Amino acid sequence: MRLYVDSKKCSGCNACRVACSLSVFGENNPKKASLVIEPHFPAPGEYIVRVCTQCGECAAVCPTEAIKQDAQGAYYVDFAECNLCEACVPVCPEGVMFVRTELANTAWKCTSCGDCVAVCGTSALWLAEVETETA
Amino acid sequence: MNGYGGNILRVNLTTGGITREATPPELARDYLGGRGFGIYFLLKEVPRGADPLGPENKLIVSPGPLSGMLAAGGGKCDWTCKAPLTGGYASASMGGHFTAELKYAGLDSIILEGVSSKPVYVFIDDKKSELRDAAEYWGQGAVDVEKELKDKFGEEFQIAVIGPAGEKAVSFAHINHDFGRQAGRGGVGAVMGSKNVKAIVVRGTRSVPVADLDAYRKAGMALYKACKEAEGLKEWTSYGTTIVVSWCDEAGALPTRNFSAGSFEDAKTLYGPYMREKIVVTDKGCFGCPCPCGKYSKVKKYNAYAEGPEYETIGLLGSNVGISDIEAVAYANLLCDNLGIDTISAGNVIGWAMECYEKGILTKQDTGGLDLKFGNIDATFKLIEMIAKKEGLGALLADGVKKASQKIGKGSEKFAIQVKGMEQSGYATHNATSMLLAYMTCDVGAHHNRAWAITYDIQVGREKVVPEKVARVIWLQNFRPMFDVLGACRLQWVELGIDRELYIPLLESITGIKRSWEDLEKVGERIWNLTRLYWVRENADFGRAWDMPPARFYTEAPTSGTTKGQITKFEDVNRLLDMYYEQRGWDSNGLPIPETMEKLGIKQEMVA
Amino acid sequence: MPAILRLSGSLKDVTGGKSEYTVEAGRSVRAVLESLGIVPLTVALVVVNGEQHTKDYIIQDGDAVRVLAVVGGG
Repeated sequence: MRLYVDSKKCSGCNACRVACSLSVFGENNPKKASLVIEPHFPAPGEYIVRVCTQCGECAAVCPTEAIKQDAQGAYYVDFAECNLCEACVPVCPEGVMFVRTELANTAWKCTSCGDCVAVCGTSALWLAEVETETA
Repeated sequence: MNGYGGNILRVNLTTGGITREATPPELARDYLGGRGFGIYFLLKEVPRGADPLGPENKLIVSPGPLSGMLAAGGGKCDWTCKAPLTGGYASASMGGHFTAELKYAGLDSIILEGVSSKPVYVFIDDKKSELRDAAEYWGQGAVDVEKELKDKFGEEFQIAVIGPAGEKAVSFAHINHDFGRQAGRGGVGAVMGSKNVKAIVVRGTRSVPVADLDAYRKAGMALYKACKEAEGLKEWTSYGTTIVVSWCDEAGALPTRNFSAGSFEDAKTLYGPYMREKIVVTDKGCFGCPCPCGKYSKVKKYNAYAEGPEYETIGLLGSNVGISDIEAVAYANLLCDNLGIDTISAGNVIGWAMECYEKGILTKQDTGGLDLKFGNIDATFKLIEMIAKKEGLGALLADGVKKASQKIGKGSEKFAIQVKGMEQSGYATHNATSMLLAYMTCDVGAHHNRAWAITYDIQVGREKVVPEKVARVIWLQNFRPMFDVLGACRLQWVELGIDRELYIPLLESITGIKRSWEDLEKVGERIWNLTRLYWVRENADFGRAWDMPPARFYTEAPTSGTTKGQITKFEDVNRLLDMYYEQRGWDSNGLPIPETMEKLGIKQEMVA
Repeated sequence: MPAILRLSGSLKDVTGGKSEYTVEAGRSVRAVLESLGIVPLTVALVVVNGEQHTKDYIIQDGDAVRVLAVVGGG
């Protein structure tokens, strides 16, 4: 499973990011969320949302193998094994791999838990199977 | 402290000193937050008789315990001060993302006091806070400066900023945020400007502690679920507040040509679905909102992007000035936002000026050559600019419709649509006695959001004057403003009709204190009485005369529209007040009696 | 097949909390509201099978009718 987004439906409310920080850290703090909302105002008046596609590029470069895959195929960070090397951050194609040591002593990312989907009033977010390319 | 930032930031602009004080637990217990904190500090710290634009007045901005939380609409903060517009109490609610950021920066209030010797902005980055030079931004538009500061500091920073009107102390200058959300009413922007503060820039990265994490996540999720499953979510989100334009037109509540009627013959191009189709480019939500009423528009005709317009602006800068072009309304909205004036007061006072012009009370000589007829779009744009810059006729209108009409005279006071000096917002009340009473007794002047009772009027009989109507207004006034105390929006409850009991376990899980709605309404009633006593303290002659409605609603029936020929009887106005004062426990002049104060735990020294 | 009419928000206050009614086809939404004691002018929107209609819409067999209260006062 992975998260999908239709940015056109996003109203920038950030409820998803609060729910995310509660899920990943058990803390009320959207600065520790695993998805990004970029407002573009005054022009052209739109929100661009970036979410994890569960592509696994982060796991591939992690030297301590702290980024693991759960039973549903979602990659997550095992906080105890992260050494804060930041190798995962630049390789993320969506810019949703986070290391901010002033906020947390670990890297973090989306776990496809779906709590963001549950609070999104405009149905901009949803979970679905990862689409695999057919030959 | 669970559910709170934990600190009060005191910014002394005279000395440049900034201090952080711990938020007293008993303050949180008794006043909860938001406008509760506002009235507490206003009564305690701003001396009697303070000049609203002088160093003694303070501007207090406060989130509440639901702000920044998983709370379906926890995006509201309160701005309290002594009002330049009315000389009484001002409390303006602002949506967007500012309130959440204050909370994450560990703040429960910012108190701006004194006056800076030069233009500054307040910069807050978590525990760091300082005054910075604002010379390069002074004189610039609020929307323009917000963009510049966002570009400078990044998207994580939230910004509240005044326009040129706030700098020039226009009495209904507002504070702008998030490209179109405002603390709009009463002149809070003029107070900020009088202190030489252009903006407040804030970022917070702290986690907010809660009393019971599991219960909190459960209660928060339950509130979102109820909103998402509510009937009307789709329609409400599509149109936001503009959903009521057509209804107000049908019900005779749409302010039309300076409230001379309640239906507008050209209103169809102002209706919500028409606007959505024609100009809206995105929904724009406040923090945490699952049903965003905010709309954002591309206004092709004027080559601009503008917030909204939302219902109030459509009513006041549309039908009330005789304009039916939604693009012109949206552009007028942008002008007001950028120049820094409240669209409600602006549309009201311009409507008054247009009526003066059409009646010959104001001439082309007075207007500086403007042909100020109802419906003149260019003249409306020009007058907005003149008000913000206090030029020509604009200087007169910048003092508000009450003072302007007193100055001009010639019977124009009779069609100055205001209570306590605040211009009436977007509901015509020729024949809607609960709503009329709501405007008469609102704690800041003629504003609608404390008690919105028109459908109640229609359901029980519009012209009826019965104790049940008065009780309904009082209940709404005690209950609805509690959302402003909690730092949340009331529209999830109002619009989606979700069960308000859902907030009870949520608030308990956050603060650790169990409170029922009955408890909360008692806090609301106490605050309502405190704000009343503030008016009494500041105005030696305060009393019944201050609660009288605009004369138009009991002297001049509309000559067109669905309320044609309908009017409120003058004796009913007084009956409404008699019943209201009695039910409130106030004397016949509208002042809280000692027994009422005692019952509510209000000591004389608190309001002396 | 009868139609289902559902009331939103504060309209339930007038009907004592009941929000869903089975109604016979052939009457207008306005007439049905009046029979329930709801003043039609307190209704903002009528949505039938996902589309907006006026209060004079004549209810057809199998319709899903949603009636939304007027609300306001930010």
